[in-house]
Amino acid sequence: MADDQFDAALDLLRRLNPKHTTQNVSHICSLVPSLEEELLASVDQPLEVRRCKKTGRDYLLCDYNRDGDSYRSPWSNEFEPEIEGAEVPTEKVRKMEIKANEAFDVYRELYYEGGISSVYFWSLDDGFAGVVLLKKSSSTSSRASGVWDSIHVLEVQDRGRLAHYKLTSTVILNLGSQAEALGEMDLSGNMTRQVTADLAVDGGAEGEGHVINVGKMVEDMESKMRNLLQEVYFGKAKDVVGDLRSK
Amino acid sequence: MVTKSETVSSFVQAAPPGEVDIKALAPSEVQSLEPAFKKYNEEQYTTVKLSGSSQTVIVSSYNVLDDGRYFDTASQTSFEVDHSSQTASSAQSYTLDSRNADAIQSLLKAFSAAATEHFPSSTVGVYPTDSDSSIAILLVANKYSPQNFWNGRWRSTYVFDPSSKSVSGTVKVDVHYYEDGNVRMSTSKKVEASSSSAEGIVREIAKAENKFQEELNRAFSTLAEGSFKGLRRQLPVTRQRVEWEKIAGYRLGQDIGGGRAKT
Repeated sequence: MADDQFDAALDLLRRLNPKHTTQNVSHICSLVPSLEEELLASVDQPLEVRRCKKTGRDYLLCDYNRDGDSYRSPWSNEFEPEIEGAEVPTEKVRKMEIKANEAFDVYRELYYEGGISSVYFWSLDDGFAGVVLLKKSSSTSSRASGVWDSIHVLEVQDRGRLAHYKLTSTVILNLGSQAEALGEMDLSGNMTRQVTADLAVDGGAEGEGHVINVGKMVEDMESKMRNLLQEVYFGKAKDVVGDLRSK
Repeated sequence: MVTKSETVSSFVQAAPPGEVDIKALAPSEVQSLEPAFKKYNEEQYTTVKLSGSSQTVIVSSYNVLDDGRYFDTASQTSFEVDHSSQTASSAQSYTLDSRNADAIQSLLKAFSAAATEHFPSSTVGVYPTDSDSSIAILLVANKYSPQNFWNGRWRSTYVFDPSSKSVSGTVKVDVHYYEDGNVRMSTSKKVEASSSSAEGIVREIAKAENKFQEELNRAFSTLAEGSFKGLRRQLPVTRQRVEWEKIAGYRLGQDIGGGRAKT
């Protein structure tokens, strides 16, 4: 019964306007409180931003850098607000996490020319897991605006000379415009794709090999998804309108 | 404090074309959902078939009667609607009582003809409104393609004032695409026109809708080139992919223009 409800909840969320996902999740939780934990962990919502008190840099929030009501800044590696005995990554994982944040900071600037990025890693028995987050807002004029959120969840297993990488990527996109000729237009949505790869890990004491592999996979995936989103959002929606009415 | 019924009602209202089904989440709420389904059907111009006819008729707030039944001008019938199953029953003959009866019939004829020119499939309705001082002209066109994971709905709503010979209204288009994701497009545009004859009104409406559709098609391109590109480029300005060995290897981000704390 609980499983049916969870599936129904996910199904419902898929059909409602992605613009209101956060609100809808909260409504569903009020209807069926027992679904809250699972839903919050399974549904992708636009990322929230916080400023790191120590470094003054912005970082993104998610379940993976959260402990209770506190969040860990990838720049300072500290939880805000402070918690007693909070769990931070091991030194080895933290070194790799720092490298990844620096590398994705460059990636972010090259592709997004602005925006915010954050990477969080944690160790697993036979490897490590992580999440790469990116967020960018734009307003070309007072009448057109957009927000892009990327959530890349990783699972990496060490297998001797090769490592097995599993990447699940979600992009959440919101575009809106208001124009005299067009009235109000709203395009919102999200898309998820998954890919796995077995790759050799180059040397490097601070996990550079993994960072390089993860970087390439994320870049490939985002580029593919960006093109797909363009095709779907604009191409498909245009086709459907054409099927509804012809001039 | 929002009640359970209000919450479930709001889900029903927000559901995309052709996809209303909340029973699994709140089975006990379904009974009390009748008002929510009614509101959804009236807002979305849900269409129903009257028994013995292949024609569909619109369900809207413009053609609802005091006793909760609905009426259709073209077939001169009134009928009952079961909102949760979206079906009609108990059709009876119904004579339209309106001081604008002639205008309504002319508009119905002209508008139905124009609709078949532009819409592969649609349902039209013309009804008295504003205490019989105006005439409402409605059109709904649907395209459901569940195998291809998409649905679309076009709704036109116009109110014609016979004394000023002017018409004003809105066009709303909703598209939902849900293959491996969930993409929703919705647009709403106000339209205004005036003419002295029923044919003239219908012509002006068609012109305005053509213009809107052109603008919509253009908007798809402008959004793609403008707002979307402003979010994430296809490739960096260098026109090359990132050299991960360089940036993750032995050089720090600062050397390549990264490391900026920008919002």
